Amino acid sequence: MKYEIILTVNGVAYPVEVDAHASLLHTVRDQVGLTGSKEGCDDSECGACMMLIDGRPVNSCSYLACQADGAEIITVEGLAPGDDLTPLQSAFLAEGGVQCGFCTPGMLISATALLAANPEPTPDEIRVGLSGNLCRCTGYDGIVRAVSKVARG
Amino acid sequence: MMGATYTTASSVEDAVAAMAAGARPVAGGTDLVVGARQGKKPLPQALVGIHKIPGLDGIGESDGGLVLGALVTHSALVSHPIVRGRFTGLADASAIVGSHATRANGTIGGNLMNASPAMDTGAPLLCMGATVELAGPGGRRTIGLDELWAGPGQLSASADELLVSVNIPAPSPGTGSAYVRLQYRRQMEIAVVGAAAVVTLGGGAVMDARIAITALAPTIHRVPDAEAALVGGPPDEARVDAAAAAAAAAARPIGDVRASVEYRRAMAVVMARRAIMTAVARASGQDMAIPASDSTYGS
Amino acid sequence: MTIAEKPFIRPDGKEKVTGVGRYTADMNLTGQLYAKFRYSDHPHARIVRIDTSRAKAVPGVLAVLTHEDVPDVLYGGMVQDRRLFAKEKVRWEGDVIAGIAARTAAIAEEAAALIEVEYEVLDPLPDFAANMDAGASLVHEDWETYGADDSLDRSGNTLGHSSIVKGDADSAMAGADVVVKSRFVADASQGAPIEPRAILAQWHGDRVTVWSSTQVPFAARSGVAHTLDMPESHVRVVVPLLGGGFGSKCDFHFEAHVAALAKAAKRPVKLVFSRHEEFVAPDHRREGMVIELETGANRDGTLVSRRGTLRLDKGAYCGEGGFFAQMAAMHACGPYKIQNISVDSYLNYSTNQPSSSIRAPTAPQTCWAVEQHMDQVAEAIGMDPAELRRRTLIAEGDEGPAGQIFDPIGIKETLEAALDMIGYGKELPDDEAIGVACGWWPSFGVPSGAYVKLNGDGTGTIITGAMESGTGAVMGLPLLAAEVLGMSPEDFSITYQDTDAGPWDMGSSGSQTTFNNGRAVIEAAKEVREKLLDMAADELEAHRDDLELVGGAVQVKGSPGTSVTIADLAGSGEPILGKGSGDVPEAPEVEASACVGRLGMESFLAPQLITHAARVKLDRSTGVVRVLEFAAAHDSGVIINRIGADGQVYGGVMMGIGQALSEMTMFDQDGRQRNPGLLDYKLQTVSDAPKIDIRWIEVDTPNAGPKGSKGVGEPPSVPTSGAIGNAIAKLVGRHVDRLPMTPERVWETMHTEGE
Ligand SMILES: Cc1cc2nc3c(=O)[nH]c(=O)nc-3n(C[C@H](O)[C@H](O)[C@H](O)COP(=O)(O)OP(=O)(O)OC[C@H]3O[C@@H](n4cnc5c(N)ncnc54)[C@H](O)[C@@H]3O)c2cc1C
Ligand code: FES
Ligand code: FES
Repeated sequence: MKYEIILTVNGVAYPVEVDAHASLLHTVRDQVGLTGSKEGCDDSECGACMMLIDGRPVNSCSYLACQADGAEIITVEGLAPGDDLTPLQSAFLAEGGVQCGFCTPGMLISATALLAANPEPTPDEIRVGLSGNLCRCTGYDGIVRAVSKVARG
Repeated sequence: MMGATYTTASSVEDAVAAMAAGARPVAGGTDLVVGARQGKKPLPQALVGIHKIPGLDGIGESDGGLVLGALVTHSALVSHPIVRGRFTGLADASAIVGSHATRANGTIGGNLMNASPAMDTGAPLLCMGATVELAGPGGRRTIGLDELWAGPGQLSASADELLVSVNIPAPSPGTGSAYVRLQYRRQMEIAVVGAAAVVTLGGGAVMDARIAITALAPTIHRVPDAEAALVGGPPDEARVDAAAAAAAAAARPIGDVRASVEYRRAMAVVMARRAIMTAVARASGQDMAIPASDSTYGS
Repeated sequence: MTIAEKPFIRPDGKEKVTGVGRYTADMNLTGQLYAKFRYSDHPHARIVRIDTSRAKAVPGVLAVLTHEDVPDVLYGGMVQDRRLFAKEKVRWEGDVIAGIAARTAAIAEEAAALIEVEYEVLDPLPDFAANMDAGASLVHEDWETYGADDSLDRSGNTLGHSSIVKGDADSAMAGADVVVKSRFVADASQGAPIEPRAILAQWHGDRVTVWSSTQVPFAARSGVAHTLDMPESHVRVVVPLLGGGFGSKCDFHFEAHVAALAKAAKRPVKLVFSRHEEFVAPDHRREGMVIELETGANRDGTLVSRRGTLRLDKGAYCGEGGFFAQMAAMHACGPYKIQNISVDSYLNYSTNQPSSSIRAPTAPQTCWAVEQHMDQVAEAIGMDPAELRRRTLIAEGDEGPAGQIFDPIGIKETLEAALDMIGYGKELPDDEAIGVACGWWPSFGVPSGAYVKLNGDGTGTIITGAMESGTGAVMGLPLLAAEVLGMSPEDFSITYQDTDAGPWDMGSSGSQTTFNNGRAVIEAAKEVREKLLDMAADELEAHRDDLELVGGAVQVKGSPGTSVTIADLAGSGEPILGKGSGDVPEAPEVEASACVGRLGMESFLAPQLITHAARVKLDRSTGVVRVLEFAAAHDSGVIINRIGADGQVYGGVMMGIGQALSEMTMFDQDGRQRNPGLLDYKLQTVSDAPKIDIRWIEVDTPNAGPKGSKGVGEPPSVPTSGAIGNAIAKLVGRHVDRLPMTPERVWETMHTEGE
């Protein structure tokens, strides 16, 4: 069965047709056409697919597109409203939080969720708040520094 | 072939009707959908989303006890002051479920209804004497958790029963609780060995004790021998050791990629001991950090 | 001194943080089909029959290919031992039997399952050490007939035997004050980049373009040309953004399979690996090893003799890893003064997943064994382990294992720096300890090329064959060009990762990009500089020798008023283009003629030297170890781009910690992976990551890369597990002899009686 649902991604409503088992990640990448969210594992282990659904960080690879019908979805493409980077994006670059960049979209989403819920996290809270996002390149050091820097304002 | 179907339930009745027609409920999906992605079990052909049912995501107090809606997430549990204060073992468990994202989406209902012997909230809730309210086509009923789990991944509830709420009775004064699991990494783990304890102290002696083990048998279960070993005197080393040994003796561990039988058995003693010690400390008013798995590391 | 004084932010940064950057899996072409492979059903079997008829009949399937449909060509780096599609035999669980291209991935998968393969099942040969025994069945029965590198010393299942012989190890051992013997076993592990590989191929007549997540586009190109029997000029390999590699995306892998499917289907074809495939199918993972060491030492710390026997698991096929035996032998000696040496190292076939370069191949495991062994030697002579190293590490003028004489090097300084950063000797709680380990890794001097051209507005473009896998190496190239031309790095764009554009390059492997391509870019920029000086001399009616390039202009020295901007010169219409490659630094000469299996690693060009120190905490009841603090001191020569170099250390150390404590590929008794997923193959998470302090010992190194630099990318994982192992041993009282040192293994070590 195909279902017509509306995915509101980064403020734009996209009517899409999906089957019941379709994942949010595949639907956003293949039908909405936003490929910023990555697939690194497809089973909630790496965090590269992280999106915000009504503000919650979600492993979109393991989330049904149908369940996101009507929700507000934010992907990495929706973080910066204009051409300027958000403070978090700039800090990731300045602090060496980006190398290959494959984990970056998911990291930025998790970090955004973390700071929204807890604007002044301790270093350990930052680590726990990003623990579902694996990075193989940076050793996490630059990422944690970037988030701390933005948190301190 | 009709292909897979999906509906969204907007009430408990809706969900039960869909389940009676063969649909499987999906709440956060962090277990059902993830399991399918990992190739453990294919996704059911018929699904009903229950995440939008209103009124199921509240944490309420009743007579000093707690009522948790089925959709309460692990992150809501960890950050709730009453859960942290008086049902601390449950906060210990929810705090270490998966990652920050798993906790933001995974629900207490989904955790209990996956009937996994490794689920983290099971052991503390069992020790706290929690019951669950199930809604089915024939009405509602309340059963204890020990009655709910029939085997690994198996429930005594029928496929058309929706878990509506979890009810935790008020703890007696002087009670402390804890849940501890073995963790190779600090986050993103699955319990390899875990244990929970709820201890009530009175006049320096253990008046009541509940001890349960996780991932060490086909279902999470309490260990009466361990409880008996702890009760009746001060929680001194001899009593704690005897209780921990009894808890481990009840283990029927398996060996797999995560650990051997011998190691699991040895760790059962350690986790039981740590859970008991932490529960005792909390019962006597000490402030032990949450999650206990982190704060008891190395002790 | 660090060359980049202000941090240089990667030019590909903005597209990465905004999500608009395209990785291979993000690309789609009109009419594109999806590829799936049918893998072997057994780790070791003879193929009796393959029937693809049912697969071909599935609606939506446009091509099904087996060995019958492609040229019958053997390929492989140092031994040509495999085909694109298995023909007579399958030799590991990831051998590809057939490829399918279909309208959807689901259809392709369904068709793959419908291919019928009849096998004669053979006994698996997973025990790579036992495969050396006389009479062992062979993984490749007729492999002596395969083409192979002449210097490989091969026999039985051993495809490479290398020795290092110096002096007379046996009699020296007999005369030593103490003799220490140890045996260590390291398990296999994985590169595990977060991006699973993806390939997209499209034909234009007889030419094919392949977009691939490879670290080595030129090797991929020659692989496609060789196996599909076509000229290299007809193959273009383009690498979109690459989501990490760590060696696992080195070598030619699946580009030809996808190109062949696209040709047969007459449509673009895309292959995207699942995480499971990314574990099981690549012929790249870190090799398992059995390491036996024996050292004779005197009470004053003199290392009089080292004997060693190393056995390495090559898995089913050679690939580019034929040099591993020799590389491991060098690491069995390490950066130490040892008077007499006899090390034998054997690289053996098995029916396991093939191993190949993963970040500093063979080094972390061998170093883990050697450095724990060194601590055992220190204990035997009653000396502090740091002091033993202080007395025995190499310095300028010392002689290497095979007789190379070292240029200025800073390993002793790295030792002191690491000890200082970690506070060696400080008071610690009784469940904490500090461990120290040293290691080394060569720089690789290979040819490389680049072009630099100027645009009409005075900006420039660097066109290079070099590869950027996230390391930042290519990003650092503008710094070098800018300095030669008196411009700023932001003035340059870079065209790279396209075999039709840049000159040949070895790719993102061997930490070699800055080392070799940096040299090429400087040479190309110098050619541009010459042209600019000529043009400016005319324009300013000045003598060339009186001119200098500063701030985007050519000016008469000391007289900024008399100048012409580069934009004016470049805007005149005359093309300004430079090309460069530069002279490849040569490997130091060696002496030891008694060594066999010499493949060029018996001397280390511009060796990179490392000391790591780790403070760990042990949970004595469970064996769980956490690394609390980490110090990394490196001599990588002069550092050209600090933020990039630091990034390599942070990432490499974390990978090393994973390898030390949690990362292992477990094989069952048949050689099938038991944990091919990220749930049970445990990478370290951010909540496990310690504070990491870095110090660079910047030795201006002769016979090295640009400005006295060496490589930086691979060494950061080399001594990590050794340092952690030594710290654990201090707490446990014995050394854990299995890698990774998992909680269960640490706990077991605590609970077994010592010999
Ligand atoms: C990366 C990762 C790590 C994890 N780590 C842990 C961990 O450390 N500890 C742990 O315990 N779990 C862990 N889990 C499992 C899972 O996250 C938890 O069990 C979670 O609480 C499940 O909740 P859910 O709402 O997502 O369940 P779902 O996946 O929606 O449902 C799970 C099961 O319960 C049924 N169900 C759900 N709600 C109801 C209801 N109200 N009535 C009847 N049946 C219902 C579903 O049909 C399904 O069979 C992990 C999962 C992931 C992906
Ligand atoms: S792709 Fe979703 S968590 Fe890895
Ligand atoms: S930057 Fe490569 S995985 Fe994080």
